[in-house]
Amino acid sequence: MTVRPLERVALRVQPASRRRSPLARRRELMAYVFLLPAAVLLAVFTLVPFVQAVVLSFQEWDGVSAVTSFVGLSNYRFVMHDSVFWSSMRNVLVFGVAGFVLGNALSLGMAVAVNRVRRGKAFFRTAFYLPGVFSVVVIGMMFSWLLAPNAGILNRLLGGVGLSGLQHNWLEDPGTALPAVAAVFLWYHWGFGFILYLAGLQDVPVELYEAADLDGASGWAKFRYVTWPDLLPVTAIVSLLTLLGALQVFGTVQVLTNGGPGDHTMVPTLRIYQEAFTNQRFGSAAAMSVIFGGALVLLAMLHLWLSRRRR
Amino acid sequence: MLKGLAGRGGLYGLLVLAAVGALFPMVWLLIGSLQTSSELYRGKDLLPAKPQWSNYVTAWTDGDLGTYLPNSVIYTVSAVIGILVVSSMAGYALARIEFRGKAAVTFALLAVMIIPAPASFIAQYKLMVMLGLTNSRLGYVLILVSAGIPISALIMRGFFANLPKDLEEAAAIDGSSALNTFARVILPLARPGLIAVAVIQGLAVWNEYLLALVLFDDDRLMPVQRGLMNFVSAETPVQNILLAATAISVLPVVVFYVFAQRQVVQGISSGAVK
Repeated sequence: MTVRPLERVALRVQPASRRRSPLARRRELMAYVFLLPAAVLLAVFTLVPFVQAVVLSFQEWDGVSAVTSFVGLSNYRFVMHDSVFWSSMRNVLVFGVAGFVLGNALSLGMAVAVNRVRRGKAFFRTAFYLPGVFSVVVIGMMFSWLLAPNAGILNRLLGGVGLSGLQHNWLEDPGTALPAVAAVFLWYHWGFGFILYLAGLQDVPVELYEAADLDGASGWAKFRYVTWPDLLPVTAIVSLLTLLGALQVFGTVQVLTNGGPGDHTMVPTLRIYQEAFTNQRFGSAAAMSVIFGGALVLLAMLHLWLSRRRR
Repeated sequence: MLKGLAGRGGLYGLLVLAAVGALFPMVWLLIGSLQTSSELYRGKDLLPAKPQWSNYVTAWTDGDLGTYLPNSVIYTVSAVIGILVVSSMAGYALARIEFRGKAAVTFALLAVMIIPAPASFIAQYKLMVMLGLTNSRLGYVLILVSAGIPISALIMRGFFANLPKDLEEAAAIDGSSALNTFARVILPLARPGLIAVAVIQGLAVWNEYLLALVLFDDDRLMPVQRGLMNFVSAETPVQNILLAATAISVLPVVVFYVFAQRQVVQGISSGAVK
């Protein structure tokens, strides 16, 4: 059935409140066109793989052939008994706690300190964030050189001041490898939180401090009752991003120790990578990434929910 | 008064100590890169007797940096341009146009952002194999662009939303088409946002490692981070040459950072607050 122009117009008549002008309709179309490239790219390269990871975790794939076959739950059963994967989950908690507690405290403390000085603010800010622009490969080269057993400057310094008892083969001694890599990670990442805290501090209204001064508040009281509450939203986002970043650590570890010695510094993302690309078991690697990735997503949602409720 | 002075001195002491801590590893890498092998392994001297600039020549040729660095430049420039185009369009739609499903699209962007890399890089690799996009410049750039979109679109949305309300109407009255208004009026006004996104994403792409590790095994296509790791794990090159190669790879970033540190700082803040 063909509809004549006049009837078509009549069909479109709507109550005045819901009518959209032709201009508004054209702009609506423009919105969809403008969103299209982002939607397509995200669908193909981010969303599909996320779903695919779940599918792949019930399949077997060698990484090359076009054939995948369903194997039911056997990948998950396999992962349940992979002790290296589970100890990697424990190891990464060291990174998580170090980042969340020490990293956060260091970032906040240094931001408060820089915010209090008058001269050299820009210099300190630039210096403190410098490590943040390095790649993991650069970090790896830098610190395997600094922490080298014989020629490394750390051991030389310790020897120089008569503390040769404290010298270690930092990255290859099972007792020191994990703390050493976690320390490097902290050094690498604390500048990020520092920048955000510093920006947050500069936004705290000056009048609040003036009022606190009038009340004769001590430095600590000013921090506790003015700075800290005002910074809470920043603290929430910094701690979430630091925690998630720490739990996803990969390159720093891969380049410095590759998980060694004897899996003492193994972390989940590295384990997933090895399971796929070294052991050619992409199915169980996918199962690991579903377990670990799912835990990360839950953690992020829990954290967002908690910090929203607190406000 | 005296206590205040001492406190101030202590504060500066602390800050200088932290600055030394932040800068020293880079300085030490540079010193090591200028020593001879025997100086390096003897480990007695702090400074090279005579700076070995030839280490840098050796590093450049043996480390194939003449291939990897241009590759990194290509990937960084193309991915940043892609991210800017796609995310400014999406951000504009979200900030300044009323359309059905806007809340759902915004929510989807936030949801995509919390998908962590460890959850999807295996399946991303599989997808790229199926599409024939491993060992492909195009494939690597496409995946980098899509990784950068969500946060960049949200940053751009923030910058667009802060522009005066009736810009579009005024331009329309002057006879400018919607597309023309976007390109000629809106985008230039959102320049600080574009710069923040370009700077942050540029650093992220230059330093990207995991996907480059997974997607490339052809030497000629590798970006510098991946290529450098190749060099490290190859036929055990000498430490001072490795340090020199690392220094060359990091030099563009450090120079960029020193000149653009204000924009870097701004970019970090605008990205995280959203």
